[in-house]
Amino acid sequence: MNILYLLIPMALLLTLSSVAAFVWAVRRGQLDDLDTPALRPLLDDEPEPPRR
Amino acid sequence: MTQPSSVPCAHCGLPAPPPPADAPEDAPSFCCVGCHSVYLALHESGLDSFYQLRNTWSSDPQPAQAPEVAAELAPLLDSEAFLNEHAKTHDDGSLSARLHLEGVHCAGCVWLIERLPELMEGVLNARLDLTRGLLSLRWDPAKVRLSEIGQALARFGYRAHPLRADQRQVRNEGLGRLLTRVGISWAVAMNTMIFAIAEYAGLSALADAGLHTTMRWLSLGLSMVALVVGGSIFFRRAWASLRTAFSQKLSAGLTHLSIDVPIALGIGVGWVHSMYNTVWGQGDVWFDSLTVLIAALLSARYLQLRGNARAADAAERLYSLLPRSARLLRRADEPTSQLRERAEAILATSLRPGDLIEVRTGDVVAADGIVMLGRSEVLRALLTGESRPEKIAPGQVIEAGVTNLGALLHVEVRATAEETRVGKLLRWIEDHKSQRAPIVQLADRLGGIFVLAVLGAALVTSIIWALIEPSRAIPNAVALLVISCPCALGMATPLAMSVGAGRAARRGVHIKNDDVIEALDHLTDLIFDKTGTLTVGQPTIAAMEGDEEALSLASALESHSSHPLARALVAAVPPQAGFAPLPTSEVEEHTGRGITGRVGTQRVAVGRPDWQLPEEHPWCVRADELAARGLTPLVVMVDEEPRLLLGLGDRLRPGAGELVSRLGQRGVRVHLVSGDHPELVARVGEDLGIEPSHIRGGASPEDKVAFIKTLRDVHPDATVAMIGDGVNDAAALQAAHVGVAVYGGSEASLQAADIFLMRQGLTPVEDLLDGSKTIMRTVRRNLLGSAIYNVFGVSLAALGLVSPLVAALLMPISSLAVVASSLSQRSFEPRPPKSETTASGGASHASPSPRAPSSHARESAA
Repeated sequence: MNILYLLIPMALLLTLSSVAAFVWAVRRGQLDDLDTPALRPLLDDEPEPPRR
Repeated sequence: MTQPSSVPCAHCGLPAPPPPADAPEDAPSFCCVGCHSVYLALHESGLDSFYQLRNTWSSDPQPAQAPEVAAELAPLLDSEAFLNEHAKTHDDGSLSARLHLEGVHCAGCVWLIERLPELMEGVLNARLDLTRGLLSLRWDPAKVRLSEIGQALARFGYRAHPLRADQRQVRNEGLGRLLTRVGISWAVAMNTMIFAIAEYAGLSALADAGLHTTMRWLSLGLSMVALVVGGSIFFRRAWASLRTAFSQKLSAGLTHLSIDVPIALGIGVGWVHSMYNTVWGQGDVWFDSLTVLIAALLSARYLQLRGNARAADAAERLYSLLPRSARLLRRADEPTSQLRERAEAILATSLRPGDLIEVRTGDVVAADGIVMLGRSEVLRALLTGESRPEKIAPGQVIEAGVTNLGALLHVEVRATAEETRVGKLLRWIEDHKSQRAPIVQLADRLGGIFVLAVLGAALVTSIIWALIEPSRAIPNAVALLVISCPCALGMATPLAMSVGAGRAARRGVHIKNDDVIEALDHLTDLIFDKTGTLTVGQPTIAAMEGDEEALSLASALESHSSHPLARALVAAVPPQAGFAPLPTSEVEEHTGRGITGRVGTQRVAVGRPDWQLPEEHPWCVRADELAARGLTPLVVMVDEEPRLLLGLGDRLRPGAGELVSRLGQRGVRVHLVSGDHPELVARVGEDLGIEPSHIRGGASPEDKVAFIKTLRDVHPDATVAMIGDGVNDAAALQAAHVGVAVYGGSEASLQAADIFLMRQGLTPVEDLLDGSKTIMRTVRRNLLGSAIYNVFGVSLAALGLVSPLVAALLMPISSLAVVASSLSQRSFEPRPPKSETTASGGASHASPSPRAPSSHARESAA
């Protein structure tokens, strides 16, 4: 059970970092626009189709 | 080979005139010069992929702005003041700013704009928020100026505005902060639950005292974070609610206690109790249930606020329709002789009465004023809903929001911003919004009583248990407060409504305010504005008498007029291939009477019978008969000789009669109130089977409001909905409980309305009524479910059969049940096709924008 004394701080650290990441994402406005990002994968330039 | 009358514009897809006959077979067509130049600019830059992406995500198509019009704001972007206010300097010397971009509407726009860094040196990053039209830009000021970026955007037909530091910003920041709280609360809740699971799994002070104590203290610390970050909101609101309650008369105030009071009490008592037990190392702790409770409640609140913010965003769109810049020629205090060579672009907010501004073709006027120079055609669609251009000449009044379609105008400013006609209109709409008696939501009504009941039950429980077994008094009371799960009740109504509104939006029915759904459910009176809703909204020739060949003469003459009846005549004679149009001269319009002129060698007059006909002519009687049938009589005179008598009328929309009778079966009284001629309105009403006492013709906008007021006075219990379009209906839409604006309506009526129908015709009206019934059924199901749950839960908790732990487990389950019930509602499902559905093509992105003049043309073609 003593391993828990190590795991608990690790879990808390993990939580802390994910909270920090979340706050960072909110601050940066990443959750403001939920529609446009869905389009972005479609926008990558595709290689020119082979010409025949 | 027959030429199509119009082809889609190669840039924007709106109807465009076909290319000339001698053009190559695949030559692209354009609806306007703006689209043409943007097309060329894209083509030259090798950006043709734009057109493959254009249809991927597209709102209503809109013609591109001519690059020179779009470019006018570019110099403004470089001004010191702008950069100071809006731009942010980064460590590497680059600047970033957010701009509002006009004219973005599809995936192609995203692709194009986000390629700016590749196209222009010095642009570091460009991100577009398509839904809001917000461009986030980062650039290197040493390499490129913001104005140059503005010019580049203008080349592709996008107009870049400085972003207003408006309420939206504040609102979004508030939402962002709440979202942060939600995130932190959930993170804390999850961790506290992990600790709690260990305890449920058998970890106890006996098994491992050290670990047990550590976990308790850690939970205590974590829950303090949740309490400060998330719980503080509930404590503050509960405190405010209590203060208001005690400042009123006690009996009245207590029933208005907000749902936050038992929440705060439950959290507070539970936490203090748990903390006490942690410190003294005894008894139960409920940190897990408390943190989950806080997180779940905050989530519900966030979802609700986000829905509200969306609605507020939509209302603010009207402000964005007014231009933010104007082209100043001369300041009010400068002598008249000092007319500057070049106009300078300035912010519209810095205009003052007396200033002289220049309005170029395609510009929207920024302030009310008087035309000093230039003759032109203007589009008043924003103000009046009138989609046809109107002529304007020096000396005439021009309003902010009017688009100049023709030649250059010089306008002397008379009123700016709030004082303009559209500004007053906006304020009026806002004022009325706050005056409007709020339809009290079911949950609110139940909420006050519920809160009292729960608090009372908790108090009684703790007192009784204190007498029986003091150690169980607090646990049982807390279990009761927790199990009575206000979140199920609190979410029951807003969640079902926002899910329903979302489903409605997908079917082309946009509901701005959720509260009207409840009103629609018990609708008693439905008022139709005649044109455009029940009728096709376009006059056609319904009766003809005399020499039919005179029709082509009349049509040739009327092609010079923009009067709606004239259009009907022109449309009646299709242009024939191989025949040159008849030559016309000396055309003169006589307002309110008709039109005269020379067609070929003959003198032709078209107009009201009493204007041209000799009094004793038999057609005078026939004309009266036509008028009695609800038609507008017109007579065609050729060389002073009556040749043709016409009756023009507006055709009823197919299915209108059935709709009215179905509404009658539902117990909805149908009214018809229109500004058209009383006889005509009476005739239409009769055809539809509407009771004569429910028909009012020749009604002015004030009459319409008065009609609704009277209706509400006569039947105090009545719930009145008004369906209409045009700015003249805005007041009436506001006066009714529920204002419904239909497709093709003006922006002003759209903003005044609670509901906006994207599809034309009558099916959306029925969809709306059916849908709101289903939504309200879901709401009631939710409320009933959570009520039953609460009665059982509270009883069990009061009897001491539920521990706070079980209560905390039941609480999220009951919330989930409400969520599931709301999501599974079957409102606004596609209905089986009826006769009328084919006529309304659905809200596909191919349909023209609400303000496009072509919407009527399309309708008549369908």
